[in-house]
Amino acid sequence: MIFLELFFSFLMIGFTSFGGLSMIPLISDQMLSHGWMTASEVADIVAIAEMTPGPLGLNCATFAGARTAGLAGAIAASVGVLFPTLTLTVLAAMFLEKFKQNRLLDEALFGIRPVCIGMISAVIVQQSIGNYAGTLFGFVSWPAVVIGLVSLLTLIRLKWSVARTIVLAAVLGIVLCGVEAGLPVG
Amino acid sequence: MTKDNWGRTLSVFKTFLKFGCFTFGGGWSIVAQMQKEYVEKKGWISNEELLDFTSVARSTPGLMIGNTSVLFGYHAAGVPGALAALLGMVIPPIIVMLGVVYLYDLVKDNLYVARAMVGVRASVVPVIFSALLKLFRSGMKDAFCYLIAAAAFCLCLFTDMSNVLIVLMGAAAGLFYREAKLRHDLS
Repeated sequence: MIFLELFFSFLMIGFTSFGGLSMIPLISDQMLSHGWMTASEVADIVAIAEMTPGPLGLNCATFAGARTAGLAGAIAASVGVLFPTLTLTVLAAMFLEKFKQNRLLDEALFGIRPVCIGMISAVIVQQSIGNYAGTLFGFVSWPAVVIGLVSLLTLIRLKWSVARTIVLAAVLGIVLCGVEAGLPVG
Repeated sequence: MTKDNWGRTLSVFKTFLKFGCFTFGGGWSIVAQMQKEYVEKKGWISNEELLDFTSVARSTPGLMIGNTSVLFGYHAAGVPGALAALLGMVIPPIIVMLGVVYLYDLVKDNLYVARAMVGVRASVVPVIFSALLKLFRSGMKDAFCYLIAAAAFCLCLFTDMSNVLIVLMGAAAGLFYREAKLRHDLS
């Protein structure tokens, strides 16, 4: 049955990956082996998933599910990819609440928090390279840099919400990229 | 369940529905949204707790945004809270994606969509950075923390070591350091 197949495929993807781009090879594998998408559709869906809100894995699940079996397929695939979150992470949450006062957990978290700071910093560097410059610093996207600076200003100085900042950034993208596209290519 | 808990569950659902519309850039922007809403505005959690949720979410399998939502939701209102946060978080992306499926060819090569996305992507780094600024001091309690953060930064950037392993190494480092310090202070 197609719904069970979708569910189990995405269940496997969910349990064997840790979100983000690490999921792409797994998703690609499952989609191609079941014949649910072609290779170029997988590439398209990764690009589209980046344009829509939400995690990549969930977006791919919804897309693949809906394309193969409509709304019910989308739900089956989404529940599959969310299954580790519904089970393992709920257990982790219970564990964290239960042992909140435990000395050893507190000490472990003392070491984990700076790791988190380090990981966030690394993500900032990686995303900056991807979003403001070409992959090999071949070019710098000036509209992107300007929008980045404006967003920084609205978030930190003007204390705007994330939502408002993102909406402004989208509008600026349409305006500034249009201007740049109108310039003679030199 | 108490009436109060239902109120919290409903409030979590509504707030995460809003968050869900703006989770661009893979998981980390939700941390910025949660920092603003639940640490600064409502005071439901501390910066330290937010860092804990983020680290655990990153090191359990599945989708990080979903995991963060569940960890926070459970903390706020138990299992119903966890489900409410997760549901709120996933409904907007699922609806948007269903729209995309039917308008696939229209969206795929649309110039305006592409330009708007350049803008959205350009704002992702400032969003994450604004969260980092606020969380920084809560994570860095002494000089040893800077060492761990620097090590984690390099491991993430220059190796393809899994995040789970890096988080576990941080936990071990914290345990050894704090236990050693405890013994040292006692003697």
